[in-house]
Amino acid sequence: MLSLTKSLQSSWRKLLLSLALLGGLALLLWPARTLRSDNFVFYFPNSRHVVPLEVIENTKYLPLLQVLNLVGRLNGLQEKRNTLKVGFGSAQIQLRADDPKIRVDKKMTTLSAPIRISNGKWMVPVDFLTMVLPMLTGQGAEYQAGMNRIFLGDVKPGSFTLRMEPLNSGARLTFQFTDKVTVRTASVNGKWVMFLGDHPIEPLEQSFHFHNPYIADVRFDDQDGLPKLIITPSAGGLNFYPVLAEGGKVLRAEVLKPPPSPQTPAPSTQTPATAAAPGAPAPASGVTKEGPATPPGPPLPVVALDAGHGGDDTGARSRDGVTEKDLVAQLVARVRQALLATQKYRIVLTRPGDVNATFEQRAVAANVAAAAYFLTFHAGDLGGGSPRVAVYTYQPPGQSLPSPGGEARPIFVPWNQVQETHLEQSRQLAQTLQQQFAIIAGVTADMPTAAPVRTLRSVNAPAVAIEIGSFSPDNDAGPLTDPSFQLHLSAVVAEVLAALQGGGA
Amino acid sequence: MSLRAKLLWIALLVVFAGGLFYLRSLGRRIFFEPPLHSDESAKARLSAAVLQPGAGPNETAVLFFPALGARKLVAESRPVKWAPGAADRVRQVLLALAEGPHQHLGHPLAASTDVRAVFLTLEGTAYVDLSGDLLSGISPGIETESLAVYSIVNSITTNIPSVKRVKILIQGQEVDTLEGHADLTDSIVPDPTLIQSGP
Repeated sequence: MLSLTKSLQSSWRKLLLSLALLGGLALLLWPARTLRSDNFVFYFPNSRHVVPLEVIENTKYLPLLQVLNLVGRLNGLQEKRNTLKVGFGSAQIQLRADDPKIRVDKKMTTLSAPIRISNGKWMVPVDFLTMVLPMLTGQGAEYQAGMNRIFLGDVKPGSFTLRMEPLNSGARLTFQFTDKVTVRTASVNGKWVMFLGDHPIEPLEQSFHFHNPYIADVRFDDQDGLPKLIITPSAGGLNFYPVLAEGGKVLRAEVLKPPPSPQTPAPSTQTPATAAAPGAPAPASGVTKEGPATPPGPPLPVVALDAGHGGDDTGARSRDGVTEKDLVAQLVARVRQALLATQKYRIVLTRPGDVNATFEQRAVAANVAAAAYFLTFHAGDLGGGSPRVAVYTYQPPGQSLPSPGGEARPIFVPWNQVQETHLEQSRQLAQTLQQQFAIIAGVTADMPTAAPVRTLRSVNAPAVAIEIGSFSPDNDAGPLTDPSFQLHLSAVVAEVLAALQGGGA
Repeated sequence: MSLRAKLLWIALLVVFAGGLFYLRSLGRRIFFEPPLHSDESAKARLSAAVLQPGAGPNETAVLFFPALGARKLVAESRPVKWAPGAADRVRQVLLALAEGPHQHLGHPLAASTDVRAVFLTLEGTAYVDLSGDLLSGISPGIETESLAVYSIVNSITTNIPSVKRVKILIQGQEVDTLEGHADLTDSIVPDPTLIQSGP
């Protein structure tokens, strides 16, 4: 009897082990339905929006409702198990999951791939933009098949050609643009990045590869809505000299080996290419005598700027109808400009435009960029007169974790308590900012305090919330929308952060 | 038929008859008789009982209201006749906060706010479920929302010492924030530093 029980137990064990192995193999070999995620950029005449893209079974898909919200207004939504009816303007759209057909009023259109539901979102293949969207909006759409961008309405994107010439001790890239561009250069992770201003660009080729000892490839990227060129050098220790010419329509960038002098030339201050006068001649052969414009070195630290509200979330509203999201978007843009001018930081925006973003997505944006500082901007009712500024650090809901200076710091920190390990540095940052805000004439700066600001909770960096006021249905926003106030505030933020980075402002 | 078989048959018949009677009464209760007390009426009776005088000894409730310009909570006293249960006392505090301050201070709860439910755990957490009307009284902002939250938390924990922390639900749901700023994802401990000392 005992031997029978033992034998049964042994069989069960073998069976369970086999099942577990089979399960593991099945999971490993199961074809991944969603292969990767990317972004799709919508260019409008006065704005641009970034929408997450999903690739499902080698077809690019976009979230239907998010796209419709970008181009117009939804009138109604009726969702059943496998069907969706959407009222959009005066049109009625009907679609069914796993079916490529889509009905707009009485007209049926067949898309290139079936409609999917992914993570609860209705996803349509990208050819929806060319086959259905024009029927709905009546606007023209310029879309190059295979690309992750579309130009809607009266948007005329520029383009460029590229020529590469080998030089004696380097290589020269000549970009010829169809429209004038402005160029700002930065070095990121050993690559040179040239931001091309605000004008939309549709490149003829997405990337260019070279068999060259100095330049490996040049890639165009606008995944975050900002058109830019990314140049990858073939080797380290090279110098990069970008110069704009012909009124901003030609960009010449030389990648040169440093001169074989025993003395390394002291790196000059970073000079953005925009500093070159329009129409300035291209650098002659004597260009190597000048200091390198942007030597590739360790990347600059990152400041994450968070507009407290955006997309559908408009935040507070003032008596004269200004929304908090518009006000903080202005402020973030000004602070970004001021910080970039210090040339001591790179900037990460937690919202790429006027879009919805969850608290977690915004924290992830800052944490993935390994932000050195995080600032979130708000406007609210602070009582008293206007303009007024308050700076907040995070207040944990309960007992906080020990700060880094404490005796016991946990190895693993729960996601919702990450900010608690930076509280001391955050307080110092808040203190410094408040002291400087108080110097601005006519502005009341309250003493920094702690508050349970949700945005700060999972940020893995010294982080503060800056709230300007008083912004409420009882007050006009005039003093807060005043450019002079915003410029002063931005300048103070930039000065404080530049001083923290070393060397003072 | 043996005596033993007869007894078995009788026992089976009794059980069968008892089962039929139980099913009949169950059916009547389910299909014909109206429920004795609906949730709504129970809640209304509870609110009424809580607000009625004479439920307990005369005492004073301390309520904290936001003073926006000063970024503090200002205490106001109210004579109150406490209900016997802690959950009912939490409800009393919330209803008194919804009534508003006597001085020129902020309103942490809109007057129309309904206290949908209050639950207390053995660990001292009070779950307070407030109606969505709460939001109509609060202007969105870090300061306004923070002070409103701590006005609720400090008032409850001061008056009901068995409550150590408060978890705020809105319309029966857990929410991320009050109006986009103040974190409501966890239960919150009181912050005595916000209380304005002196006149």
